[in-house]
Amino acid sequence: MAPPVERTDAQVVRDILAGDRDAYRLLVRRYGDTLHGHALRMTASQDEAADLVQRAFVQGFRKLRSCREPERVGAWLFRILANLCTDHVRSPRRRDLRITELASLLPSEADPSLDAAAAEIRARVWGALESLTPEQREAFVLKHVEGRSYEEIAAVMDLSVASLKMRVHRAREALRGLLEEYA
Amino acid sequence: MNGELHGHLDGNIPAEALDHTDREEADEWNRMVASFRQAAPRGGAPPWLEQRVMAELESLPEPGPLRRALGWLVRPAPVRVSPLTVGLAAAVLVVALVPRSAPESGPSGVQTAGSASEEPVVYVQFVLEAPSASSVAVAGDFSAWEPSFTLTDPDGDGVWSARIPVRPGVHGYMFLIDETRWQTDPNAERYQDDGFGNRNAVLAVGASG
Repeated sequence: MAPPVERTDAQVVRDILAGDRDAYRLLVRRYGDTLHGHALRMTASQDEAADLVQRAFVQGFRKLRSCREPERVGAWLFRILANLCTDHVRSPRRRDLRITELASLLPSEADPSLDAAAAEIRARVWGALESLTPEQREAFVLKHVEGRSYEEIAAVMDLSVASLKMRVHRAREALRGLLEEYA
Repeated sequence: MNGELHGHLDGNIPAEALDHTDREEADEWNRMVASFRQAAPRGGAPPWLEQRVMAELESLPEPGPLRRALGWLVRPAPVRVSPLTVGLAAAVLVVALVPRSAPESGPSGVQTAGSASEEPVVYVQFVLEAPSASSVAVAGDFSAWEPSFTLTDPDGDGVWSARIPVRPGVHGYMFLIDETRWQTDPNAERYQDDGFGNRNAVLAVGASG
């Protein structure tokens, strides 16, 4: 008996829209890690990241009919999550966080070897990101932390490469103070 | 920070092409970027994510038969036709349209549609600034309050717009963001209470726009 052929994203989306709600778990398995990684880098919080990813998947399910390219449903889900992340980072409660509080938000259990000095650098570096606008922060994280190409980011975020470069350039300018501190 | 340095950090200009000062600054930037990557929190999705998402989906109502039928109607599906069928269909279309070829004209500066026996339709430009939205639709009296008209933001600047056919008259309307949040048009000329504690924007459309 031949092994079952894995369904493509487009087939999975078609099955879900036809009423096979359980097929949605395949998309959660395929893209859960990618979405969670980005949410984590945007929020520096395991709890907040997990909550945002869960909301993104539920929102994605509710509006799946509006996904115009089912073969690229992963990128479409990523965009939903990215919008939720920028909204979340922009929220007044979130922006009230102080840099020193970030250290306690970071997942030390994920890296038990982290010493105090490294933890301080981590908190300072990620605290600097908190000073950027949500859009600048998103662009900087995608480009420099996640190492994606401009073309890839522009396609996912539905932005022109020129607009995206401008955001990254402004993020660098805003972070320049930190660079001088490290020099 | 100058253009050459940005170009280098973007990967377009090699380090050798930079002058001494820019190269030093580029090295510092590269060290800082490395520290960002090193400091980046890592970790896959929690193991309970799939279970929680599926549990939340279970609580959502199943789409009714009408919605499923509508979904079937609007979902694109491949259709195979022979050239002969296309030719016959085109011939029938030509025959059907020839007697109705009398031109119609709308008022100056207004796009209208509809035959002489029908009330003309005026195309109204709807605009909403919503930078963080992933979808925007408009619903109102003119659509039986179904958010069936979607706005687009092709250049990604956060300004969503669409030209939508509306019959002359006074219409209440609202924007629906991300299929979940209703928002009153902040730039409407008039507003009215909707009876549920919110305000609808009001649009007055004359026969001439």
